[in-house]
Amino acid sequence: MQNRIKTIVAILLSGFFFLATNSIAAEAYDEDSYGPEAPIAWDKPTKVNFSHKVHTMDSGLTCDACHDELFTMEAGAVLATGKMTMAAMAEGKFCGSCHDGNTAFASSTQCASCHTDVNELVPEDPIVWTKPVKAVLFYHKAHTEDFGLECDACHNDTFVMQKGAAEKADNFTMQALYEGKYCGKCHDGSTAFASDTRCNTCHIGVKGYNRMTGNDDAHEKNHKDTQAGH
Amino acid sequence: MNIEDLENEKNEGIENMPLQERRKFLQMGLAVTGVFLGGSVLSLTSASHASSQINPDLDIPVEGQYPYPKHYSMVMRQNRCIDCERCIEACKQTNHVPDAHGAYRTAIQERLTTENGVEKREFRPVLCNHCNRPPCVRVCPTKATYKDPETGIVVMDYKKCIGCKTCMAACPYNARYFNEEKYAIDKCNFCIDTRLAEGKKETACAAACPTGARIFGDLKDKSTEIYRLLHTPDTKIWVLRPDTGALPNVFYMNA
Repeated sequence: MQNRIKTIVAILLSGFFFLATNSIAAEAYDEDSYGPEAPIAWDKPTKVNFSHKVHTMDSGLTCDACHDELFTMEAGAVLATGKMTMAAMAEGKFCGSCHDGNTAFASSTQCASCHTDVNELVPEDPIVWTKPVKAVLFYHKAHTEDFGLECDACHNDTFVMQKGAAEKADNFTMQALYEGKYCGKCHDGSTAFASDTRCNTCHIGVKGYNRMTGNDDAHEKNHKDTQAGH
Repeated sequence: MNIEDLENEKNEGIENMPLQERRKFLQMGLAVTGVFLGGSVLSLTSASHASSQINPDLDIPVEGQYPYPKHYSMVMRQNRCIDCERCIEACKQTNHVPDAHGAYRTAIQERLTTENGVEKREFRPVLCNHCNRPPCVRVCPTKATYKDPETGIVVMDYKKCIGCKTCMAACPYNARYFNEEKYAIDKCNFCIDTRLAEGKKETACAAACPTGARIFGDLKDKSTEIYRLLHTPDTKIWVLRPDTGALPNVFYMNA
């Protein structure tokens, strides 16, 4: 009986030591070879977190993978240049040199992996499409805040996150929507109102477009001049 | 006061008219030549005997009562209009509508409302209604505008037009404008000269509409879509300003 207790205690103890040594090893983070341990947290222009640990210790990159060619090794220096934008990354600069969808996930995907507050990324101004017909209105905020959609509900499967991309496509038509493409992915009559109903919810027409772009002021002025002439 | 009421009025004659009134009336008669000599305002109504093809209670066309050999008309499926204004562009190009202020043959009207804080918009295409009893035709002193006896289209004879603009004032739909280039009144004529004469079956605006909001056709022909639409049971059909008694040939529906 006593032997039995001894063996149990021995097993438990060995297990404890095994776990303890393991966890001690995991916590051993060498700042000299892995970079600063605390994640870098930017506030401007948007809230972004960057973890050295994920890229070095976890992914096996060495310092010279990024320093100093892509990023100078001085806190806040790259950001101060104002050149580190999503557009620059799409061109393969900064994070984009690896985050190209090949070496690592593309910079136009998985927003929330780096951006800690994705809501601040949602464009305030509406999108106004003028092709193939003038004009169609889309509010990001209505879809993210009012309907609670995440970025990846539409990006990048349904819509590429690039200005004017949908308009350039030949099939950005109502017919495509009825086939479940673009807006029709949700606007099918069950998830959201069907694409062939409530036309003027999105279609604002030439008049709505002119009002948004301020073109109708010129028309109004012209009208008043003509009236005065009578 | 609509035409029917006017027609029922008794001619009061001029014997008991005060001098001042007589003078005013004579002046008007001179301005609109012929009205006074005709003895009755309505005697110049070139289409006064045109019968209604519309059920006056329901505004629905009554089969077998279309008074023209070809009866061209248009249906507006109003809820389909998205104000892309391709119709306006096509019309301008086809019919050489000048790029001047106020010059138009067709237009889109817009109504903005707010419902629970959400902006709502409605678009309505408008053009000449090619009325069966057109007030513009009635007032024209030179018969420059008339109902085409073949098609029922209200057309213009630009050579006869003296530019008095009385028809502009008379039109309940504001469908006429003064064309500086022609120096005559111009208006929609369902592309009678620019497209129908070439054998095309549709007006430029209807052909250009990407949503099928404008359906043009011959009501006499039972195979046309316009016939089908206007004779679909339980379809709510309406016309603009039915109270004028002009019996318009442009019908509206949400379908």
